[in-house]
Amino acid sequence: MKKTVSIVTVVVLAVLQVLSFASCKATGKEKHTANYFDYFDTVTTITAYTETEEEFNTLCDEITTLLNEYHRLYTIYNRYEDFTNLVTVNDVTDGKHNVVKVDRRIIDLLIFAKEMYNKTNGKVNIAMGSVLSIWHTYRNEGLDDPENAQLPPMEKLREAEKHTDINNLIIDEENSTVYISDPLMTLDVGAIAKGYAVERICLYLEEKGVSNVLINVGGNIRTIGFSADENTPWKAGIENPDTENEEKPFIEYIELSGESIVTSGSYQRFYVVKGENYHHIIDPETLMPGTKYKSVSVVTNDSGLGDAFSTALFLMTYEDGKKLVEETENVEAMWVLPDGEQVYSSGFKDYTFEYEVK
Amino acid sequence: MKKSEKTTFSKKKKIRNDIILAAVILVIAVAGLLFIKFTKVQGNSVVVKIDGAETVSYSLTEDVRYEIRTGENNENINVLVIKDGKAYVSEADCPDGICKDYRPISYVGETIVCLPHKVVIEITGNTTDISLDAVV
Repeated sequence: MKKTVSIVTVVVLAVLQVLSFASCKATGKEKHTANYFDYFDTVTTITAYTETEEEFNTLCDEITTLLNEYHRLYTIYNRYEDFTNLVTVNDVTDGKHNVVKVDRRIIDLLIFAKEMYNKTNGKVNIAMGSVLSIWHTYRNEGLDDPENAQLPPMEKLREAEKHTDINNLIIDEENSTVYISDPLMTLDVGAIAKGYAVERICLYLEEKGVSNVLINVGGNIRTIGFSADENTPWKAGIENPDTENEEKPFIEYIELSGESIVTSGSYQRFYVVKGENYHHIIDPETLMPGTKYKSVSVVTNDSGLGDAFSTALFLMTYEDGKKLVEETENVEAMWVLPDGEQVYSSGFKDYTFEYEVK
Repeated sequence: MKKSEKTTFSKKKKIRNDIILAAVILVIAVAGLLFIKFTKVQGNSVVVKIDGAETVSYSLTEDVRYEIRTGENNENINVLVIKDGKAYVSEADCPDGICKDYRPISYVGETIVCLPHKVVIEITGNTTDISLDAVV
C-alpha cells in the first residue's frame, strides 16, 4: 500500500513537471520589461528575453546609459553644465550663432537630417525650429489653460518661416563643428532624433551579439532579433487612430524580427482650440498640422529612417508618399485616411498577421 | 476483531483499492492543474507602475476604483477604474490629461501612460486571446 502511494506520488509529480515545463519556452529565457521617463520627453520601454534578471538589468543599464548620452546631446530644451549639445548650437550671442565644436554623434545626426530633407522633398526639415517653437509655446499655453487656448497667428508663423533654410546649417565634418549662418534660424530635431538614437544603440548592441530585445521610445519601436526564440517574432499592435472606438483598439497586427515600426498620428499629441484638435506634426508648406491622414505607420529595418519617413509620409500626398516608399529599399507603409480607410504599400501585408478576436 | 477483519481482505482487493486511490489522486492533480491553467488564461492583471516600479496590481475581473498618488507629498492624482474587464483613467490632475483620453485597455501589452506623473498602467497575463509586446 505505502509502496503504491509513493509510486503514484512519483507519477503525479512527473506529470506535473512535464506539464509545467511545456508551458515554458524551450530556450529557458524569460520575458522582462522596464519603463523609464528620462529620455526624449517620452516613456521608454525595454522588453527582453533573458536567462536571468541580472542579465536583464545589465542590458537595461547599458541601453539607458546610451539613451541618456544621446538625449543629452540631441535635446533642444535642456542645458547641462560644461556640456555642448544642440542647445549650444541654437544659442545666440551678440546677435549671432557661434561656430560650435560638437560630439561626432551630433555631426552624424545632422548629416542624416540633411539626407532625410533631400529624400523627403523638404517635408522633414530640422531647420524649422523658429516655426515649431511658436507652435510649442501656443500648445503648452493651451494645455495649461484650455479655456483660453489660441492658435499661433499666421503672420507670426510666416515671419518665422523666412528663417528655415536648411542650407544655412553649415556642417564641417573635418573639424567637427556646426554653425547656423542665419541668426534667427534654430534647429528642432524632434522628428528624427529619437528614431536615429535608438537605431544607433541597436546597431551597437547587434554588433555585440545581443538579441531578443525590443526598445520602444514613445512609439518608436525597434527590435533586435526575435522575441523568445527563433520561431517567435515580436508582436506589435497598431493603434486605431479612432480613439473613441472601444470595440476595435487595433487596426493591424505586425510581426517583427529585427525590424522597426514607427507610427505618426494626429491623435497622439495635440491641444484643443475652440473644439478642434491641433496636433504636433506641422507641414512646412502650410505651417499648420497636416490633415491628409489620421495616421501613417512605417515598417523598416532602420528606425531612424522609420521616424523620418512616418513624419514625411504623414505630410505628403498618397501618390508622392507611395512613390517614395516603393523606390526606397526595405520600407513599407500603411496610411489611414481621414474616413478610416487603410491603404498599403506593396509589401506591408508581409508583416501583418491576424488575431481571431472573440 | 478489527485485526482479523483486515486480514480477511484478499490480495486482489488490496491492489484494486490501490489503483482506485492512484486514479483519484491523478484526477485531482490534473483537475487542479487545469484549474490553474484555466484561471490563468482568464486572469489578466492590471499593473500600476510609478517611475518604473510596480506598486499595485489588480485582477481585470474585479471592479476597482484606485487613486494613484504620486509626487513628493502625494499631491498628484490619477484615478484608475477597472470596470467590466477594462481599465481606464477617469480623473487626473496632470497638466496634459492625455491619460484620460486613452480608450479603456484590456489586452495584454496595452498601456496607459501619464508622462507628467510618471505613471504606467499595463495589462499583463498570458491570455490566448490577444497578447502584444508593444503598441504603436
